[in-house]
Amino acid sequence: MSTLIIGLGNPLVTDDSVGLRVAAGLRERLAGRSDVAVVDDYWGGLRLMEQMVGYDRAIVIDAICSGAKPGTIHHLATGDLPTQRSASSHDMTLPTALTFGRQAGLRLPEDEAILLVGIEAEDILNFGETCTPAVAAAVSLAVADVLAILDPIPQPEEAGALIA
Amino acid sequence: MKRISIDPITRLEGHGKIDIFLDEQGDVANAYVQIPELRGFEKFCVGRQAEDMPNLTARICGVCPEAHHMAATKALDRMFHVDPPPTAKKLRELFYSIFYATDHTTHFYALSGPDFVLGPDAPAAERNILGVVKKVGMDVAGKVLKMRHDGHSLIKMIGGRAVHPNWGLPGGVSRGIDESQRQEIEARGLEAVEFAKFSLKILDDIVLANKTYVALITGDVYLHKTYNMGMVDANNCTNFYDGKIRITSPSGKEVAKYDCAEYRDHIAERVEPWTYLKFPYLKKIGWKGLVDGEDSGVYKATPLSRCNVAEGMATPLANAEYKRMYETLGGKPIHHTLATHWARLVELLYAAERWVELARDPEITGKEYRTLPTATPTEGVGCVEAPRGTLTHHYAADERGILTMVNLIVGTTNNNAPICMSVKKAAQKLICKGNVNQGLLNMVEMAFRAYDPCFGCATHNLPGQMPLEVTLRGPDGAVIEKLSQYM
Repeated sequence: MSTLIIGLGNPLVTDDSVGLRVAAGLRERLAGRSDVAVVDDYWGGLRLMEQMVGYDRAIVIDAICSGAKPGTIHHLATGDLPTQRSASSHDMTLPTALTFGRQAGLRLPEDEAILLVGIEAEDILNFGETCTPAVAAAVSLAVADVLAILDPIPQPEEAGALIA
Repeated sequence: MKRISIDPITRLEGHGKIDIFLDEQGDVANAYVQIPELRGFEKFCVGRQAEDMPNLTARICGVCPEAHHMAATKALDRMFHVDPPPTAKKLRELFYSIFYATDHTTHFYALSGPDFVLGPDAPAAERNILGVVKKVGMDVAGKVLKMRHDGHSLIKMIGGRAVHPNWGLPGGVSRGIDESQRQEIEARGLEAVEFAKFSLKILDDIVLANKTYVALITGDVYLHKTYNMGMVDANNCTNFYDGKIRITSPSGKEVAKYDCAEYRDHIAERVEPWTYLKFPYLKKIGWKGLVDGEDSGVYKATPLSRCNVAEGMATPLANAEYKRMYETLGGKPIHHTLATHWARLVELLYAAERWVELARDPEITGKEYRTLPTATPTEGVGCVEAPRGTLTHHYAADERGILTMVNLIVGTTNNNAPICMSVKKAAQKLICKGNVNQGLLNMVEMAFRAYDPCFGCATHNLPGQMPLEVTLRGPDGAVIEKLSQYM
């Protein structure tokens, strides 16, 4: 199964860069894996959909502002939370973009094979080349989280089957 | 005083808010567009190396980084006193034409298309690109996505990266193209011309064939008789990459034509206490407030403005469409804000034709694409036409090339005053005695969206889409009614 991991964000805007930082950590850990690609991007909506063409599964990592404690890691499905770019004059929501892409005949991951990993941000309005401390501390946790999603630890019965 | 808030403006780049204030009778007293924008770019670039600017300023925006990249690169040419060789200039314009065609495509189909093709009264749930596909036909989805894919692929091929190019250098570009790349660019360009013609046909068949839509475009709801600004070539035809800035009066007379380095002689910036966005205006006419007319220094810099200040388009098919637009809408200049969408399609065709012309230019595969700068850097101004208005980058540096001053007038900022005026006028016409409904509010938004505004778009995060909320308040601040819809 081919998987695309997309880190979204702006590297110059404090916690908005967190998706890119997690992607950088994953790129290092996943070097040499032919079934996984890790990319950076800066748009949601249409462009995000276009990136997913040809993959079986996609994991999107981005900053999130939901009011939770900074650094909290959320898992969301495509229908849950479109990116802010979806409220854009140049774009549309990710679900709309996925429907549009499928209408055009593009091969895209099924909705259930698209996971959004959001890291709760504290500051997404000021320029800065580093994250706030709580968000910076969450980067390695998010990397481990995505690695676990990618390669889940086998459940006991599965492990037993493997041993057998 | 009652207050109506539209927050956020749906499908608007970045995040904006419109406040409409009603008087005691429930009629519109004032309308303000308030933008929470990232601030400080001009400040934090000071002290950095000038050569970083094409890459740094591209991060101002995720939608038009190519425009910032190019304006910055041109400012560096001037700052380092170096003239790029012809191949470099042509490559830059080729790159820029491809970007333009791609950007205008997305805008028409994702933003203005839903309003126009489905009509302002269509249910909100259908007024999106999927509604356009339903009405126009399934093959439009494939055409739009192919156009975008081709544009992004070629931008990456030429500029090094698909979103934030890393290619422009003072005196030229970092690499050229070979013959096989040229052939690929030409082939895709010919398809882009067909796509632009197809888009204009949609406008004909669905918008212009509908009397209600034409009446909406030519009515006075969206009419503003302001000055216009745009870049023109030596023949006064529209040019996006290079030329002089031409300004014409509300009656269409040329009042200024200048090299971008002289922009401060012509443009001043007004600061208002209720917003941190500046309001540029024509210095020689003066600031008279948010009003139009010959005596007010308010100007527009939009696709329609570029058409208004030009004598025509430099390519044959686009020029024919240019003439047809003016013949249909009653001659030059056109001040109807919604005609901006038509002008955008004329520009789409021009960009596609220019793309093909440059791909066929014998010099385009030349190997001389950089003149090495040798002079001590001083100061430089670079201008391009961003899709949403004239973009100006102005830098000064010390003898080491370390920046000492940065001033940016971005495309949308030019249109700050007209945007506020359009929203107010539309609201005045469409909100009466406190009566507001979803259709009317969408028409207020339509006025705004015609400018293709791009505010504070350097950031994004989850969650994104929020409801369009309208709160009607009585004079005591109590909520009378709340309306909302998801777009």
